[in-house]
Amino acid sequence: MWLPLLGLILGLALGLLTDIQIPAVYENYLSIAVLAALDTLFGGIRAHLQQVYDDKVFVSGFFFNIALAAGLAFLGVHLGVDLYLAAIFAFGVRLFQNIAVIRRILITKWEDRHKNGMKNQ
Amino acid sequence: MKNRFPNRKSPKFTRKQFILLIVLITTGFIIGYSYNLSKDEVKITNNFLQQDESYREELIDQKERNKELMDEVNHLQEQIRDYEKSFASNQNEYEQMVDKAEQIRLLLGQIPAVGEGIKVTLKDGEYNPNTTNPNDYIVHESHIFMVINELRISGAEAISVNGQRLKANSYIRCNGPVITVDGKQYPAPFEIAAVGNSDTLIDSLQMVGGVFDQLLNDQIVVTLEESGKISMPSVNEES
Repeated sequence: MWLPLLGLILGLALGLLTDIQIPAVYENYLSIAVLAALDTLFGGIRAHLQQVYDDKVFVSGFFFNIALAAGLAFLGVHLGVDLYLAAIFAFGVRLFQNIAVIRRILITKWEDRHKNGMKNQ
Repeated sequence: MKNRFPNRKSPKFTRKQFILLIVLITTGFIIGYSYNLSKDEVKITNNFLQQDESYREELIDQKERNKELMDEVNHLQEQIRDYEKSFASNQNEYEQMVDKAEQIRLLLGQIPAVGEGIKVTLKDGEYNPNTTNPNDYIVHESHIFMVINELRISGAEAISVNGQRLKANSYIRCNGPVITVDGKQYPAPFEIAAVGNSDTLIDSLQMVGGVFDQLLNDQIVVTLEESGKISMPSVNEES
Protein backbone atom coordinates (compact mmCIF):
# COMPACT_ATOMS: atom_id res chain seq x y z
CA MET A 1 0.00 0.00 0.00
CA TRP A 2 2.85 2.35 0.81
CA LEU A 3 4.87 1.65 -2.29
CA PRO A 4 2.60 3.55 -4.76
CA LEU A 5 2.43 6.50 -2.41
CA LEU A 6 6.21 6.48 -2.21
CA GLY A 7 6.28 6.39 -5.98
CA LEU A 8 3.95 9.39 -6.18
CA ILE A 9 6.16 11.35 -3.80
CA LEU A 10 9.26 10.34 -5.72
CA GLY A 11 7.67 11.45 -8.98
CA LEU A 12 6.59 14.77 -7.47
CA ALA A 13 10.08 15.37 -6.15
CA LEU A 14 11.60 14.55 -9.52
CA GLY A 15 9.18 16.87 -11.29
CA LEU A 16 9.82 19.71 -8.87
CA LEU A 17 13.57 19.32 -9.04
CA THR A 18 13.93 19.10 -12.82
CA ASP A 19 14.93 22.39 -14.30
CA ILE A 20 14.22 21.79 -17.97
CA GLN A 21 12.49 24.65 -19.72
CA ILE A 22 10.00 23.78 -22.43
CA PRO A 23 8.60 26.30 -24.91
CA ALA A 24 5.40 28.01 -23.82
CA VAL A 25 3.59 26.53 -26.82
CA TYR A 26 3.74 23.06 -25.30
CA GLU A 27 2.29 23.98 -21.93
CA ASN A 28 -1.19 23.17 -23.21
CA TYR A 29 -0.09 19.62 -23.84
CA LEU A 30 1.27 19.34 -20.33
CA SER A 31 -1.98 20.42 -18.72
CA ILE A 32 -3.84 17.87 -20.79
CA ALA A 33 -1.35 15.21 -19.83
CA VAL A 34 -1.92 16.02 -16.16
CA LEU A 35 -5.65 15.68 -16.64
CA ALA A 36 -5.32 12.42 -18.55
CA ALA A 37 -3.03 10.95 -15.90
CA LEU A 38 -5.38 11.91 -13.08
CA ASP A 39 -8.35 10.55 -14.98
CA THR A 40 -6.71 7.20 -15.60
CA LEU A 41 -5.52 7.02 -12.01
CA PHE A 42 -8.97 7.56 -10.58
CA GLY A 43 -10.43 5.22 -13.17
CA GLY A 44 -8.00 2.58 -11.93
CA ILE A 45 -8.99 3.15 -8.31
CA ARG A 46 -12.66 2.89 -9.22
CA ALA A 47 -12.07 -0.31 -11.19
CA HIS A 48 -10.14 -1.71 -8.25
CA LEU A 49 -13.00 -0.93 -5.86
CA GLN A 50 -15.54 -2.44 -8.26
CA GLN A 51 -13.30 -5.50 -8.65
CA VAL A 52 -12.99 -5.16 -12.41
CA TYR A 53 -9.41 -3.97 -12.32
CA ASP A 54 -7.11 -5.17 -15.07
CA ASP A 55 -3.43 -4.48 -15.40
CA LYS A 56 -3.25 -4.21 -19.12
CA VAL A 57 -6.29 -2.00 -19.44
CA PHE A 58 -4.96 0.29 -16.74
CA VAL A 59 -1.44 0.74 -18.09
CA SER A 60 -2.45 0.93 -21.72
CA GLY A 61 -5.19 3.36 -20.80
CA PHE A 62 -2.76 5.52 -18.88
CA PHE A 63 -0.23 5.97 -21.64
CA PHE A 64 -2.68 5.83 -24.50
CA ASN A 65 -4.90 8.53 -22.96
CA ILE A 66 -1.95 10.83 -22.44
CA ALA A 67 -0.74 10.26 -25.99
CA LEU A 68 -4.20 10.70 -27.44
CA ALA A 69 -4.83 13.91 -25.55
CA ALA A 70 -1.48 15.33 -26.58
CA GLY A 71 -2.05 14.26 -30.17
CA LEU A 72 -5.47 15.87 -30.19
CA ALA A 73 -4.05 19.10 -28.87
CA PHE A 74 -1.28 18.97 -31.45
CA LEU A 75 -3.79 18.45 -34.24
CA GLY A 76 -5.92 21.27 -32.88
CA VAL A 77 -3.01 23.70 -32.85
CA HIS A 78 -2.18 22.87 -36.45
CA LEU A 79 -5.78 23.01 -37.65
CA GLY A 80 -6.54 26.22 -35.79
CA VAL A 81 -9.34 24.57 -33.84
CA ASP A 82 -9.19 24.36 -30.06
CA LEU A 83 -9.41 20.59 -30.01
CA TYR A 84 -7.66 20.34 -26.65
CA LEU A 85 -10.89 21.66 -25.16
CA ALA A 86 -12.52 18.39 -26.18
CA ALA A 87 -9.89 16.45 -24.27
CA ILE A 88 -10.21 18.69 -21.22
CA PHE A 89 -13.97 18.40 -21.28
CA ALA A 90 -13.99 14.61 -21.68
CA PHE A 91 -11.37 14.04 -19.01
CA GLY A 92 -12.94 16.53 -16.65
CA VAL A 93 -16.35 14.92 -16.85
CA ARG A 94 -14.88 11.47 -16.42
CA LEU A 95 -12.78 12.60 -13.52
CA PHE A 96 -15.84 13.86 -11.68
CA GLN A 97 -17.82 10.71 -12.48
CA ASN A 98 -15.02 8.45 -11.31
CA ILE A 99 -14.59 10.37 -8.08
CA ALA A 100 -18.34 10.31 -7.48
CA VAL A 101 -18.43 6.52 -7.97
CA ILE A 102 -15.43 6.07 -5.67
CA ARG A 103 -17.12 8.19 -3.02
CA ARG A 104 -20.34 6.26 -3.23
CA ILE A 105 -18.56 2.91 -3.00
CA LEU A 106 -16.52 4.07 -0.01
CA ILE A 107 -19.63 5.39 1.76
CA THR A 108 -21.46 2.11 1.19
CA LYS A 109 -18.50 0.15 2.51
CA TRP A 110 -18.18 2.36 5.56
CA GLU A 111 -21.87 2.09 6.34
CA ASP A 112 -21.77 -1.67 5.98
CA ARG A 113 -18.82 -1.90 8.34
CA HIS A 114 -20.56 0.43 10.77
CA LYS A 115 -23.73 -1.67 10.78
CA ASN A 116 -21.78 -4.89 11.18
CA GLY A 117 -19.89 -3.41 14.07
CA MET A 118 -23.14 -2.39 15.75
CA LYS A 119 -24.56 -5.86 15.28
CA ASN A 120 -21.47 -7.50 16.66
CA GLN A 121 -21.70 -5.41 19.77
CA MET B 1 9.71 -5.80 -3.28
CA LYS B 2 8.75 -9.39 -3.64
CA ASN B 3 7.76 -10.44 -0.16
CA ARG B 4 6.67 -7.18 1.24
CA PHE B 5 2.99 -8.03 1.13
CA PRO B 6 2.84 -11.77 1.73
CA ASN B 7 -0.72 -11.64 3.00
CA ARG B 8 -2.14 -10.84 -0.48
CA LYS B 9 -3.31 -13.88 -2.32
CA SER B 10 -3.18 -12.67 -5.94
CA PRO B 11 -0.31 -14.26 -7.88
CA LYS B 12 -0.01 -11.13 -10.10
CA PHE B 13 0.56 -9.02 -7.04
CA THR B 14 4.13 -7.88 -7.60
CA ARG B 15 3.63 -7.05 -11.22
CA LYS B 16 0.51 -5.08 -10.41
CA GLN B 17 2.32 -3.19 -7.74
CA PHE B 18 5.21 -2.46 -10.05
CA ILE B 19 2.93 -1.11 -12.76
CA LEU B 20 1.12 1.06 -10.24
CA LEU B 21 4.45 2.37 -9.06
CA ILE B 22 5.53 3.37 -12.55
CA VAL B 23 2.21 5.00 -13.32
CA LEU B 24 2.27 6.94 -10.10
CA ILE B 25 5.83 8.08 -10.63
CA THR B 26 4.87 9.31 -14.08
CA THR B 27 1.81 11.09 -12.76
CA GLY B 28 3.77 12.66 -9.95
CA PHE B 29 6.45 13.78 -12.35
CA ILE B 30 3.98 15.41 -14.72
CA ILE B 31 2.12 17.16 -11.93
CA GLY B 32 5.28 18.36 -10.24
CA TYR B 33 6.74 19.54 -13.49
CA SER B 34 3.71 21.52 -14.55
CA TYR B 35 3.45 22.98 -11.04
CA ASN B 36 7.03 24.15 -11.38
CA LEU B 37 6.34 25.72 -14.75
CA SER B 38 3.22 27.56 -13.73
CA LYS B 39 4.94 28.79 -10.57
CA ASP B 40 7.71 30.39 -12.65
CA GLU B 41 5.15 32.02 -14.90
CA VAL B 42 3.17 33.50 -12.04
CA LYS B 43 6.36 34.89 -10.57
CA ILE B 44 7.28 36.63 -13.82
CA THR B 45 3.88 38.23 -14.35
CA ASN B 46 3.81 39.36 -10.73
CA ASN B 47 7.19 41.01 -11.17
CA PHE B 48 5.98 42.93 -14.20
CA LEU B 49 2.85 44.10 -12.43
CA GLN B 50 4.82 45.23 -9.40
CA GLN B 51 7.28 47.13 -11.57
CA ASP B 52 4.43 48.83 -13.38
CA GLU B 53 2.83 49.80 -10.10
CA SER B 54 6.02 51.16 -8.59
CA TYR B 55 6.80 53.25 -11.67
CA ARG B 56 3.33 54.67 -11.63
CA GLU B 57 3.61 55.60 -7.99
CA GLU B 58 6.97 57.20 -8.62
CA LEU B 59 5.48 59.23 -11.43
CA ILE B 60 2.62 60.42 -9.25
CA ASP B 61 5.04 61.36 -6.49
CA GLN B 62 7.20 63.30 -8.90
CA LYS B 63 4.21 65.15 -10.30
CA GLU B 64 3.02 66.11 -6.86
CA ARG B 65 6.50 67.27 -5.94
CA ASN B 66 6.67 69.32 -9.15
CA LYS B 67 3.39 70.96 -8.32
CA GLU B 68 4.55 71.82 -4.82
CA LEU B 69 7.79 73.31 -6.10
CA MET B 70 5.93 75.30 -8.74
CA ASP B 71 3.64 76.72 -6.09
CA GLU B 72 6.66 77.60 -4.04
CA VAL B 73 8.30 79.38 -6.99
CA ASN B 74 5.18 81.40 -7.66
CA HIS B 75 4.88 82.28 -4.01
CA LEU B 76 8.49 83.39 -3.76
CA GLN B 77 8.19 85.53 -6.86
CA GLU B 78 5.15 87.16 -5.40
CA GLN B 79 7.18 87.92 -2.29
CA ILE B 80 10.01 89.45 -4.31
CA ARG B 81 7.55 91.72 -6.06
CA ASP B 82 6.07 92.78 -2.76
CA TYR B 83 9.53 93.59 -1.43
CA GLU B 84 10.29 95.64 -4.48
CA LYS B 85 7.03 97.52 -4.24
CA SER B 86 7.61 98.43 -0.61
CA PHE B 87 11.10 99.44 -1.61
CA ALA B 88 9.77 101.70 -4.35
CA SER B 89 7.33 103.49 -2.11
CA ASN B 90 10.17 104.30 0.24
CA GLN B 91 12.73 105.44 -2.24
CA ASN B 92 11.57 107.23 -5.35
CA GLU B 93 14.69 106.75 -7.40
CA TYR B 94 14.16 103.01 -7.47
CA GLU B 95 10.67 103.29 -8.82
CA GLN B 96 11.74 103.31 -12.38
CA MET B 97 13.90 100.26 -11.93
CA VAL B 98 11.04 98.35 -10.37
CA ASP B 99 8.84 99.28 -13.31
CA LYS B 100 11.46 97.98 -15.63
CA ALA B 101 11.79 94.75 -13.68
CA GLU B 102 8.03 94.34 -13.87
CA GLN B 103 8.08 94.88 -17.59
CA ILE B 104 10.86 92.38 -18.08
CA ARG B 105 8.99 89.83 -16.01
CA LEU B 106 5.90 90.30 -18.10
CA LEU B 107 7.95 89.75 -21.21
CA LEU B 108 9.48 86.64 -19.70
CA GLY B 109 6.00 85.49 -18.85
CA GLN B 110 6.79 84.78 -15.24
CA ILE B 111 3.78 86.59 -13.83
CA PRO B 112 0.20 86.63 -15.04
CA ALA B 113 -0.62 89.51 -17.34
CA VAL B 114 -4.00 91.24 -17.17
CA GLY B 115 -5.10 94.39 -18.88
CA GLU B 116 -6.39 95.96 -22.06
CA GLY B 117 -5.05 94.65 -25.30
CA ILE B 118 -5.79 93.45 -28.78
CA LYS B 119 -6.38 90.21 -30.57
CA VAL B 120 -5.19 89.63 -34.09
CA THR B 121 -6.52 86.64 -35.99
CA LEU B 122 -4.70 85.39 -39.06
CA LYS B 123 -6.70 83.12 -41.35
CA ASP B 124 -5.72 81.41 -44.56
CA GLY B 125 -6.97 83.21 -47.66
CA GLU B 126 -9.80 81.86 -49.80
CA TYR B 127 -8.92 79.25 -52.33
CA ASN B 128 -7.74 81.07 -55.40
CA PRO B 129 -8.09 79.15 -58.66
CA ASN B 130 -5.72 81.54 -60.43
CA THR B 131 -2.71 80.48 -58.39
CA THR B 132 -1.48 76.92 -58.50
CA ASN B 133 0.61 77.22 -55.36
CA PRO B 134 -1.37 77.12 -52.10
CA ASN B 135 1.65 78.63 -50.36
CA ASP B 136 0.58 81.92 -51.88
CA TYR B 137 -2.44 82.30 -49.65
CA ILE B 138 -1.86 80.35 -46.42
CA VAL B 139 -0.44 81.72 -43.19
CA HIS B 140 3.25 81.04 -42.71
CA GLU B 141 5.20 81.34 -39.54
CA SER B 142 6.97 84.36 -41.01
CA HIS B 143 3.66 86.23 -40.91
CA ILE B 144 3.22 85.32 -37.29
CA PHE B 145 6.78 86.44 -36.60
CA MET B 146 6.04 89.75 -38.25
CA VAL B 147 3.00 90.37 -36.10
CA ILE B 148 4.71 89.30 -32.90
CA ASN B 149 7.80 91.37 -33.55
CA GLU B 150 5.72 94.41 -34.34
CA LEU B 151 3.70 93.92 -31.17
CA ARG B 152 6.86 93.57 -29.08
CA ILE B 153 8.44 96.63 -30.60
CA SER B 154 5.35 98.71 -29.92
CA GLY B 155 5.36 97.81 -26.26
CA ALA B 156 3.19 94.74 -25.75
CA GLU B 157 3.65 93.41 -22.24
CA ALA B 158 2.62 89.84 -22.93
CA ILE B 159 1.84 87.92 -26.08
CA SER B 160 0.13 84.61 -26.58
CA VAL B 161 -0.51 82.50 -29.67
CA ASN B 162 -3.73 80.49 -29.61
CA GLY B 163 -3.78 80.81 -25.84
CA GLN B 164 -0.16 79.75 -25.31
CA ARG B 165 1.85 82.43 -23.57
CA LEU B 166 5.15 83.22 -25.23
CA LYS B 167 8.27 83.25 -23.11
CA ALA B 168 11.51 85.09 -23.78
CA ASN B 169 12.98 81.96 -25.32
CA SER B 170 9.87 80.60 -27.04
CA TYR B 171 10.18 79.17 -30.49
CA ILE B 172 7.65 78.97 -33.28
CA ARG B 173 8.15 76.56 -36.08
CA CYS B 174 6.27 75.97 -39.30
CA ASN B 175 5.16 72.37 -39.41
CA GLY B 176 3.18 71.87 -42.59
CA PRO B 177 -0.38 73.11 -42.09
CA VAL B 178 0.17 73.70 -38.36
CA ILE B 179 2.66 75.69 -36.34
CA THR B 180 4.52 74.43 -33.29
CA VAL B 181 4.76 76.80 -30.35
CA ASP B 182 7.14 75.50 -27.69
CA GLY B 183 6.38 71.94 -28.66
CA LYS B 184 2.60 72.26 -28.89
CA GLN B 185 0.92 72.23 -32.26
CA TYR B 186 -1.77 74.68 -33.26
CA PRO B 187 -3.79 74.77 -36.48
CA ALA B 188 -5.04 77.83 -38.33
CA PRO B 189 -6.62 80.26 -37.65
CA PHE B 190 -3.96 81.72 -35.40
CA GLU B 191 -5.10 84.07 -32.73
CA ILE B 192 -2.38 86.32 -31.43
CA ALA B 193 -3.31 88.16 -28.27
CA ALA B 194 -1.27 90.95 -26.76
CA VAL B 195 -1.62 92.88 -23.52
CA GLY B 196 -0.60 96.50 -23.78
CA ASN B 197 -1.81 99.93 -24.80
CA SER B 198 -4.31 98.95 -27.48
CA ASP B 199 -4.21 102.29 -29.33
CA THR B 200 -0.45 102.11 -29.76
CA LEU B 201 -0.55 98.49 -30.77
CA ILE B 202 -3.29 99.01 -33.35
CA ASP B 203 -1.63 102.07 -34.77
CA SER B 204 1.68 100.34 -35.17
CA LEU B 205 0.08 97.37 -36.88
CA GLN B 206 -2.00 99.49 -39.23
CA MET B 207 0.83 101.78 -40.27
CA VAL B 208 0.84 102.44 -44.03
CA GLY B 209 3.18 99.91 -45.57
CA GLY B 210 3.33 98.17 -42.21
CA VAL B 211 2.50 94.68 -41.06
CA PHE B 212 -1.17 94.64 -42.02
CA ASP B 213 -0.52 95.87 -45.52
CA GLN B 214 2.07 93.17 -46.02
CA LEU B 215 -0.29 90.50 -44.69
CA LEU B 216 -3.13 91.64 -46.92
CA ASN B 217 -0.70 91.64 -49.79
CA ASP B 218 -0.06 87.95 -49.05
CA GLN B 219 -3.81 87.14 -49.37
CA ILE B 220 -4.24 86.52 -45.65
CA VAL B 221 -7.49 87.31 -43.89
CA VAL B 222 -6.66 89.48 -40.88
CA THR B 223 -9.16 90.46 -38.22
CA LEU B 224 -8.32 92.86 -35.45
CA GLU B 225 -10.22 93.00 -32.21
CA GLU B 226 -9.79 95.42 -29.38
CA SER B 227 -10.42 94.06 -25.94
CA GLY B 228 -10.83 95.88 -22.65
CA LYS B 229 -9.48 93.02 -20.61
CA ILE B 230 -7.19 90.22 -21.65
CA SER B 231 -5.71 87.92 -19.04
CA MET B 232 -2.94 85.43 -19.51
CA PRO B 233 -1.60 82.99 -16.93
CA SER B 234 2.08 82.93 -16.09
CA VAL B 235 4.06 80.33 -17.95
CA ASN B 236 4.88 78.61 -14.70
CA GLU B 237 1.27 77.69 -14.13
CA GLU B 238 1.13 75.60 -17.25
CA SER B 239 2.36 72.09 -16.86
